[in-house]
Amino acid sequence: MKDRLPAIRIDDLTVAYDYKPVLWDIDLIIPEGVLMAIVGPNGAGKSTLIKSILGIIKPIAGSVQVFGQPYKKQVDKVAYVPQKGSVDWDFPTTALDVVMMGTYGSLGWIKRPGQKEKKLALEALEKVGMLEFKNRQISQLSGGQQQRIFLARALVQNAAIYLMDEPFQGVDATTEKAIINILKELRKAGKTLIVVHHDLQTVPEYFDWVTFLNVKGIASGPVKDIFNDDNLTKTYGINYKVAVNQ
Amino acid sequence: MTSAQLEIQLIGAIVAIACAIPGTFLVLRKMAMISDAISHSILPGIVLGFFITQDLNSPLLILLAALTGVITVILVEFIQKTGLVKEDTAIGLVFPALFSIGVILIAKNANDVHLDIDAVLLGELAFAPFDRLVVDGMDIGPKSLWVIGSILLITLTLLLLFFKELKLSTFDKGLAATLGFSPAILHYGLMTISSVTVVGAFDAVGAVLVVALIIAPAATAYLLTDNLKHMLFLSCCFGIFAAIAGYWLANVLDASIAGSMSTVLGIVFLLVYLFAPKQGVFSVFFKERQQRKEVSLLVFLLHLQNHQEAEERHVNHLREHINWQKVQAKTVLELASKNNLIYISDNIVSLTDKGQEFTDEALLYITTNKVTAIEELKERFFLFRG
Ligand SMILES: Nc1ncnc2c1ncn2[C@@H]1O[C@H](COP(=O)(O)OP(=O)(O)OP(=O)(O)O)[C@@H](O)[C@H]1O
Ligand SMILES: [Mg+2]
Repeated sequence: MKDRLPAIRIDDLTVAYDYKPVLWDIDLIIPEGVLMAIVGPNGAGKSTLIKSILGIIKPIAGSVQVFGQPYKKQVDKVAYVPQKGSVDWDFPTTALDVVMMGTYGSLGWIKRPGQKEKKLALEALEKVGMLEFKNRQISQLSGGQQQRIFLARALVQNAAIYLMDEPFQGVDATTEKAIINILKELRKAGKTLIVVHHDLQTVPEYFDWVTFLNVKGIASGPVKDIFNDDNLTKTYGINYKVAVNQ
Repeated sequence: MTSAQLEIQLIGAIVAIACAIPGTFLVLRKMAMISDAISHSILPGIVLGFFITQDLNSPLLILLAALTGVITVILVEFIQKTGLVKEDTAIGLVFPALFSIGVILIAKNANDVHLDIDAVLLGELAFAPFDRLVVDGMDIGPKSLWVIGSILLITLTLLLLFFKELKLSTFDKGLAATLGFSPAILHYGLMTISSVTVVGAFDAVGAVLVVALIIAPAATAYLLTDNLKHMLFLSCCFGIFAAIAGYWLANVLDASIAGSMSTVLGIVFLLVYLFAPKQGVFSVFFKERQQRKEVSLLVFLLHLQNHQEAEERHVNHLREHINWQKVQAKTVLELASKNNLIYISDNIVSLTDKGQEFTDEALLYITTNKVTAIEELKERFFLFRG
């Protein structure tokens, strides 16, 4: 296993929106097949880190490699669920149609989605428990339901790496359990999952890998080794005491 | 109908379709005003093109003018990116500047340019049939029909090829980018086609009214459907209708054809806005009223189910208990009995078997959070709606 390329390798990454760096000299190696949480306070740069992996934001220094190559060459290997779908909710489109958009990447230019793509999308909708809403216009869905549609869309992308920015935001407990089960299933299938997560209590239960981030990279590794009060305090600044039962 | 009349309507209809297609995407991208900017700022491009080609229908002139349109978009975006002003302000800064350059160019060269501002702004569809395209001594139809027809053909081809990409990048730029469909290419592609269409159409309907043909059909269709393909189709239909109805309106009123077309578009929009089955002002009003009544009915039925005691189900008691006014209580009672959900004996209200069944099922849906299924439940049980 040693000689396998990491899913994502980040070297000396620095990102600034204006002049002030929001990510400072990040080095990070994410091995293939982990279910990883990124934790850190609001404004720590978690979303920014994900966006720079995706090349949505250009770093001022450093590099990101996806399976040993720049992201641009690995576009089809990465699926992304944004923090708050910055889409036009009034767009004339249905839940099913939105999920089908996840298949566009593998279709490439010009070629149109057909029965096969539709079947994939329906299966994904079923998985996230949204099949009965397939013909709904998307603005007529609740926030949690919209979140699930975006998860389904990422599922049909059939990527090797999934980047999810707070997928549990605003979903109820049942849905959260359903989503985490899907994520665990994906990991079993060998996928790499990177999830921005705020609920520190559930980190040991949900994840096997964790990265602490607050402008700088604090620590990254297996949850059982590094998820401790020391790292939490370094990340969140205050004296942190989380009951970590392992 | 004379052949000239037929040709005018045909040109009008084709212009309308050619405008409705990019218009649909512009409206969805909330960029409707950029078409206004383009339509004005192509003026200097048209004038310069006219100096060079001396022919309003020459492809070179169309390309030159369309280029001015794309430059407008780039300028607007550049000014906007400085972060000092908002997009509408940026548009307001750019197009008057370019437009006035065009006006000055025309005024300065009034003697050798057979181009007047009125014609550019308002167009004159009525004259279109007189400017014929003659090939090898053979008359093959009005020039503008060929011009706008070719533009429509290009637009349609691009639409068929890149529908998926345009849809995706309009809906979710971020995903389009991550899936490898460059939003910038699609954006400027759309801007180029819009500019070319505006230039091709201005001769017929004028640079100002072309904006109506771009925005109004799409905005109208948007009120009627949740499906992008249907929206495109409906936009085209509204455009064609406005072209033909506008022509005859102009005939009756002896008015400008383009002006009449725009008027028809405005009226159609207003009618749809008021009467659209789902989102129209009236239907929203009536649906809300119906919903309110039916929710009251459900509350009422649940109350009956909860209370076996006779005094809780006495007609008068219900009124004060559920705190309804007389009229509301009466309509709800009536609706319930019309649908055979309740029966009343000695002023005591009881659920019928059907009412019991309906209430049980509704309760199940409410507690399992499947409220959507209630609508379908009503379809099954109700003979009369609220
Ligand atoms: N588009 C932007 N322009 C300027 N500054 C930005 C922009 N987006 C984010 N920032 C700043 O960069 C920093 C990191 O933002 P980021 O969104 O990555 O935080 P985050 O860790 O995802 O926070 P949260 O937990 O609230 O989602 C913040 O200080 C934020 O104010
Ligand atoms: Mg964030």
